[in-house]
Amino acid sequence: MLNDYLTSDTIKFAENVDGWRDAITQVTAPLLSSGSITPAYVDAVTASIAAGGVYIDLGFGIALAHSRPEHGVLQTGLSSLRVTPAVLLNDDPAHPIDLFFCLAATDQQSHLKTMMELAKLLSDDELRTRLLAATTPAETSTVIEENGTQE
Amino acid sequence: MVHMNIDKVLKELGVSGIDVDHADLGSVARGDADAVFVGRDIAEAAENLGDLVVLNSIIDINELRTKVRATLERKGVTVPEVGVGA
Repeated sequence: MLNDYLTSDTIKFAENVDGWRDAITQVTAPLLSSGSITPAYVDAVTASIAAGGVYIDLGFGIALAHSRPEHGVLQTGLSSLRVTPAVLLNDDPAHPIDLFFCLAATDQQSHLKTMMELAKLLSDDELRTRLLAATTPAETSTVIEENGTQE
Repeated sequence: MVHMNIDKVLKELGVSGIDVDHADLGSVARGDADAVFVGRDIAEAAENLGDLVVLNSIIDINELRTKVRATLERKGVTVPEVGVGA
C-alpha cells in the first residue's frame, strides 16, 4: 500500500527550492536516510533528467522521479516533495512541477504494484486536486488512505 | 501508467477485445500496433511507429477517454453508448 511508503517521514514540503536539482536532492533525502537507496540512485535520477528525461512529468504539475533497480535501490521506497513555488524540470518552461514523487523499486514486480496504486491516485481528478492542495503530511496521508479504500 | 489507464477507459466505454501493451521506444516497431499512445515528449521520436496518438498528460483520464474513443471510431470499432460518462 502507498501509505506503507508515504509516511510523515517521506512526505515533505519545501518553499523556495533552488531549482530542479535541489528538488531532486530534497525528494530523495528521506530514501537515502532510510537506507532505501544509495547516492548512486540520486545521481542516476539527476543524470536522466539532465539528459532531457522530462517524460517523468506526468501532467498537472506532478513528476515521478525514478531510475532502474540496479542503479542503487536497496529497498523499495517512495517519497514526495511539494514545492512552492513550482520549479522547472530540467529548466524547461514547458515542465513546471509542483509535486515530486521519487520511486525506488527493487524489482519490476514491486515497481508495478506501487505504480498501479500511484496511477489510480493521480488519475482521480478529485484526489489529485486534494493531493496538490495538501499542506501537511497528515493531509497528504488522508488523501492516500482514501485512495486505498476505493473500489 | 498509460497502459493501466487505457484498460480502465476501454472498460468504461464497454469495449472489449482490444489488446493493450506497453513498451519502451527501442522495443516497438512500426506495425506492432494499430495505434500507439505516447506522452508529448517522445512524440517526435515515435512519429514513425504508425498511427500515433499524443497525450498531453498520462494521468488525465478525460483526455485519454476522448482520444481512445476517437481512435476506436477511426479504426471502425463500435463504441457502445452504454457506459458513456460513467
